[in-house]
Amino acid sequence: MPNFDQLFRKYHHQLFLYARKFVADESVALDITQDVFAQVWEKEKLSLPDEHLKAYLFHSVRNHCLNHLKHERVIRRHQQFQQDELSKLEIQYYESGEKSLIQKESLERIYETVNSLSEVNREIIELSRFEGLKNKEIAERLGIPIRTVETRIFRALKELRQKLSQKFIRILLNLCRLKDKV
Amino acid sequence: MKTTERIEQLIASYLNGELSQEERTELMNWVRTDPSNKALFYDIKDIWDSARPASVDVNQQLIHFYKTQAQKKKKRVLPVWTNVAAAVAILLIGLFAAQFIPFFQTENRSMVESFQVPMGSHSQVVLADGTRVNLNSNSSLRLDPDFSTTNRKVSLEGEAYFEVKSDKSNPFEVRTHKFNIVVTGTKFNVNSHREDRDIGATLAEGRIQLEARNMKTIVLKPGQKITFNQQTMKAVLSEADVASDIAWVEGELNFRDIPFPDLIRRLERWYDVKLEYDGPDFDSMTYTGHFKNQETIWQVLDALKLTTSIDYTKVNLREFKLYLKSNSM
Repeated sequence: MPNFDQLFRKYHHQLFLYARKFVADESVALDITQDVFAQVWEKEKLSLPDEHLKAYLFHSVRNHCLNHLKHERVIRRHQQFQQDELSKLEIQYYESGEKSLIQKESLERIYETVNSLSEVNREIIELSRFEGLKNKEIAERLGIPIRTVETRIFRALKELRQKLSQKFIRILLNLCRLKDKV
Repeated sequence: MKTTERIEQLIASYLNGELSQEERTELMNWVRTDPSNKALFYDIKDIWDSARPASVDVNQQLIHFYKTQAQKKKKRVLPVWTNVAAAVAILLIGLFAAQFIPFFQTENRSMVESFQVPMGSHSQVVLADGTRVNLNSNSSLRLDPDFSTTNRKVSLEGEAYFEVKSDKSNPFEVRTHKFNIVVTGTKFNVNSHREDRDIGATLAEGRIQLEARNMKTIVLKPGQKITFNQQTMKAVLSEADVASDIAWVEGELNFRDIPFPDLIRRLERWYDVKLEYDGPDFDSMTYTGHFKNQETIWQVLDALKLTTSIDYTKVNLREFKLYLKSNSM
């Protein structure tokens, strides 16, 4: 049974990033993360086996996000209808059993893989994700058309996906080999 | 080919740029057309969402978490309050009923007889005779089953501050496991926690008589306090620092020459935590200090750490271990 501090440190960033998938506002995502930990704290779910606890945490984050989106919709009426719609579809998508990379992989491994991208792709991910520049700003910085920036972003994400899944397969293979040896 | 590129650009500007209303609708429609479109879209978005730093400090978030929980805990005093209010209301109704329907008297008595305050809380109750009682953490007050304006007997476990409604012909009596106090109208504090080394009473106003087994009655004057060592039952009458003894009523903690083990127990009760310490080093120490509006046990422990040779570590949920800093040994 992990103690609460360890649990908090282990999952905080993952849950925070997971919440940010569905809600754009960083402070809302932080609040949701805090609320989810409060549930664990109050209900003493700490005694659950680790995998169940993890699934419970991610599921809770989704629920909170969904509630937040519903709430927002009431407040802002249909102003951002489509935005909400894509986010709600997304929550359903994960509700159906899909797992996010954030849940499957450690953040360290994801960052490592970003570093292993080809030069052009790594540059575009760093500018957009780690420096937080918008497409327009990147276009200006690099002196290229905005459409090119968009295409590059898409390609970089595809390369990242490919590398991450390769890594995943390699881990599986290693596991199989280990089993064979045993 | 052209459409693929178009969609890729739409997705990239959805993720990190601006979409016009029309482009948004176009993307929506594309996502909805085909499950494989949906899968691709959310897959790419997932990678985008994953490949970013979580630029917040986890330690700060953890501290924030504990603070919020501590505040929630404070707010939980409220239900105790409402319970007490409801209990008093029932008692009052009971008394009214007793007056109007005398033959129900026997059934109506003993409806409400005790008030309990858990660890980490404190609360106030007004008794049927108009006496105000502030109950400290982990304390309980039991009323005599026949409690009324003419029969004013209560039993106390733990600590309470009384403001007794003056009535010369009907004395108010407080019983504890070690001593009894009889008064007519006064303000005084009683501490009778069984686990404390020292227990006793402090008189703020008026006059109280105190009786203990094998002892002649002691009369306290305002500003005096009596302290019993529970093991020896040796009593010491002294001038009190009244303000510090009743500071807890106002939500402050004020200690003057309190034995260290008693300080620890007070903090444990007040904050509902467990504080471990070992060694005779601590047992002989006394502590003087004032904590005002402290929100969390962390702040108190930090204050101890800064002003004394004590340091602490957290060992578990709401559980700390205190030790002497090594350089002071």
